Amino acid sequence: MAYSFEQHKISGAIGADDQFWRALEDGTFQLSRCSSCRNWTWPAHFRCGKCGSWEFEWVTLEPKGNVFTYTRSRYAFDRVLERKDDVPYVTIVAEIPEAGNVRVMGVMKGDEAGLKIGARVKGSIEPPSPKTKNYPSIRWELDL
Amino acid sequence: MSKMRGAAAIVGIGQTPYYKRGTSPEPELKLAIRAITQAADDAGIDVRDIDGFVSYASERSDPAKLMPALGTRECSFASLVWFHGGGLPATLNIASQAIMTGQADIVAVYRSMAEGSNQRLRVIVAQDDTSSQYLVNGLDSPAQILALRAQRLMEYHGVPQSALYATVRASYYHASNNPNAYGRTVTMNDEVYEHARMISEPYRLFDCSRENDAAACILVVSAERAKDLKQKPAYILSAPMGTMEGGGALEENWRPYYATAGQTELAERLWRESGYGPKDVDVAQIYMNMNSMGIGAMVDHGFFAMEEAGAFCTFENLTAPSGKLPINTSGGDLGEGFIHGMGLIPEAVRQIRGASTNQVPGAKLSLVTGGPGDLMSSTALLGAAETL
Ligand SMILES: [Zn+2]
Repeated sequence: MAYSFEQHKISGAIGADDQFWRALEDGTFQLSRCSSCRNWTWPAHFRCGKCGSWEFEWVTLEPKGNVFTYTRSRYAFDRVLERKDDVPYVTIVAEIPEAGNVRVMGVMKGDEAGLKIGARVKGSIEPPSPKTKNYPSIRWELDL
Repeated sequence: MSKMRGAAAIVGIGQTPYYKRGTSPEPELKLAIRAITQAADDAGIDVRDIDGFVSYASERSDPAKLMPALGTRECSFASLVWFHGGGLPATLNIASQAIMTGQADIVAVYRSMAEGSNQRLRVIVAQDDTSSQYLVNGLDSPAQILALRAQRLMEYHGVPQSALYATVRASYYHASNNPNAYGRTVTMNDEVYEHARMISEPYRLFDCSRENDAAACILVVSAERAKDLKQKPAYILSAPMGTMEGGGALEENWRPYYATAGQTELAERLWRESGYGPKDVDVAQIYMNMNSMGIGAMVDHGFFAMEEAGAFCTFENLTAPSGKLPINTSGGDLGEGFIHGMGLIPEAVRQIRGASTNQVPGAKLSLVTGGPGDLMSSTALLGAAETL
């Protein structure tokens, strides 16, 4: 079966993270690690800049992290108008300790009290919807 | 010190008026032609003799379209610097190299923007350059993405709101003295600043630049040719470009730097190549699409440490004529108008000429920093003849 995100592809990035979205759409949180030197490579890329390997493994992780930074959007921006009824909403950049502290973005879910840099968060996966441009997504929720 | 030090100089400047975005009465190509011809007149150069063209980012008024209208006799060099506002000072690097290697004699460095005719914001920056990781998570605009970095700068590194406000107040104060500034009539005080709506926390409205329609141009020639022209030359002492390992297209995974501008190593090269240091700088044009990033640029350039930002960034310290480091003396990106930072170079040159509306008396060393936190960036130091 074709994946939703593949039919609504957003161009402009490095473009090596298809497996991240595929896994999310299948309900798992995966990040990319070099098969040779085991360096976490995020954003995903085509060649490991540390050791020169072209092989990567996608590791299934429990979506747990810490808030590295965040912003509360208070305006309906042009290209994310699908979220205009959600304004204000918070987007979190979370560090993932189990993956070498690489940082993964996600829209916040649940109670915002206690939101601060360093706070623990847990992720939940949501299926593709117009709000997420028909991509699956990870949402971060405080894990106090 | 580098071979490039003082090899070329800026001898002409041209700027159209700033219009509210999307309201320019003329298309951007025409604005570009106006800025370039003005710069030639300012320099006392026949516009037909311009043989080099340099711009950056998503500039669309390419030399091929300009040549017929400028009467260009020969275009012998044309180039674009990669990425966004980070490329601004690097244009001076490219222009200097072209002149030093004999590829061109008179190089026009320019930027033209009119939203109506090119839709830069929505189409060019946006759709081709923002990855799914941002868009899926409700992040579209540079204001939001740089807000993530500002939050880190303020909450984690402790830079106070007062530092951001000081840059805003200084910019609008300078704009109020500049008849060409788009923001010259804006009243700025504590109340206006604090009550302005939030855009993307921690950014309030006045922490962000507003994009304008306008064009600006400066002309670069060899140091030798500069001596015989109309204007007092502003010599290009250094204009390094680049980024270090740990920067680049990393989707908020920059390390070790995150909350500043990613210009630490660029600034080190700038001081090394020019033979000067932060204490020698008389006046600075700091790129501020968003102001906290500009504070990061000042940290990276060694003007103050992160923990000193609150004490250093005060209205008194940042304003001409006698502040410790007068910044954005035309009003800058916040107060004069924003065309991807291109207004900053003409103002840096005016300071050396002694012709700014917020002149720093006797200014000899004039800094221009590029888009902070851009995927790649650059910075440049201009000097009067005495600094060579
Ligand atoms: Zn490797």
